[in-house]
Amino acid sequence: MARSKTTTLQRKRIHPWAAGGSALVPETVCNAARESSSNVNPDSWIEQHGDCLYRYALIRVRHPEVAEDLVQETLLAAVRTYANFRGISSERSWLYGILKNKIFDYFRKLAQEVSFTDLEFLEDEMSHKFVDQGWNHERGPTHWKPDPEAALDRKEFWETFRSCLDKLPVRIADVFVLREMEQMDTAQICEALRISQNNLWVMLHRARMALRECLELHWFERKPRLDTQTNEQR
Amino acid sequence: MSSVDKSSSLHQDNPSLLIGRNWIERLLVTFIANHTPQCREVVRLLSQSMEVKLPITTRIKLRFHFFICAWCVRYEKQLRALRKIATSLPEHMDDICPEALPNSSKERLKQALRAKEPN
Repeated sequence: MARSKTTTLQRKRIHPWAAGGSALVPETVCNAARESSSNVNPDSWIEQHGDCLYRYALIRVRHPEVAEDLVQETLLAAVRTYANFRGISSERSWLYGILKNKIFDYFRKLAQEVSFTDLEFLEDEMSHKFVDQGWNHERGPTHWKPDPEAALDRKEFWETFRSCLDKLPVRIADVFVLREMEQMDTAQICEALRISQNNLWVMLHRARMALRECLELHWFERKPRLDTQTNEQR
Repeated sequence: MSSVDKSSSLHQDNPSLLIGRNWIERLLVTFIANHTPQCREVVRLLSQSMEVKLPITTRIKLRFHFFICAWCVRYEKQLRALRKIATSLPEHMDDICPEALPNSSKERLKQALRAKEPN
């Protein structure tokens, strides 16, 4: 149904110009599409950018339903504000920009409902690593091989990274996502999540500690075992 | 750290720069261990150093601590690697998150948008 609607719209738009000169057509079609907000075609946005927007949201909020809602809100806002879109940036980066704000708003709202302070995490888990004053020699950080840089192009590495991120307590992971993935300012995060700077530091410290540990165990040290595991799963 | 030099077998496992091979090193290791924060505190400070610039005295203490503790050196390197991994994540979105928006959701979204469309 949506298809037929679009094609009639397009035909109407193209028709007056079609007789004038074929060279003009592509440009005029393009301009016509931007003329007013009523000519917006959200269906094509969903087809072209839907998956990308969804992934972007999902990796950050980690709940499929929430990610879907955020994509919907983004597209609704996009329809409303399409008149302001001048086409300076690409359509996709414009949509990403809106989505980014929606994600931030989501965390801000979440912080009004739940407390983001999660200080119990890792308190005991890490104590076995330290002996008296220093690292337990058998369990201290190992030398990472192969080089982490080389891992960035491996699909399996990102699967490992994601599973490590999923193992973090939710609030700790949220903080890590905002700081390291979104690269937000610490002051901004503290204000949005209503936590003190000190708490933020502690949470980030714990997140890094756990992620480092998890990557070391599941990628840098035990890579062969992980490969066989993933093969079995397939 | 003074417990390190009691057992010679540990020397082979310790990749630190100063591990107490002779009396001068032992003296240095003990001195540094007594005047720099413990590893537990060092890792906390290292994480904090990624957010704010630490006071110069703390930074000097950390440098000295690195002489006697290869593990904290590795830890610092790995924290930086971790940040690099996290920041390069958006470029590898398809690898880390292969899920697509389900077709049913796409249809639902289309319906929702059509209802709100201004025309």
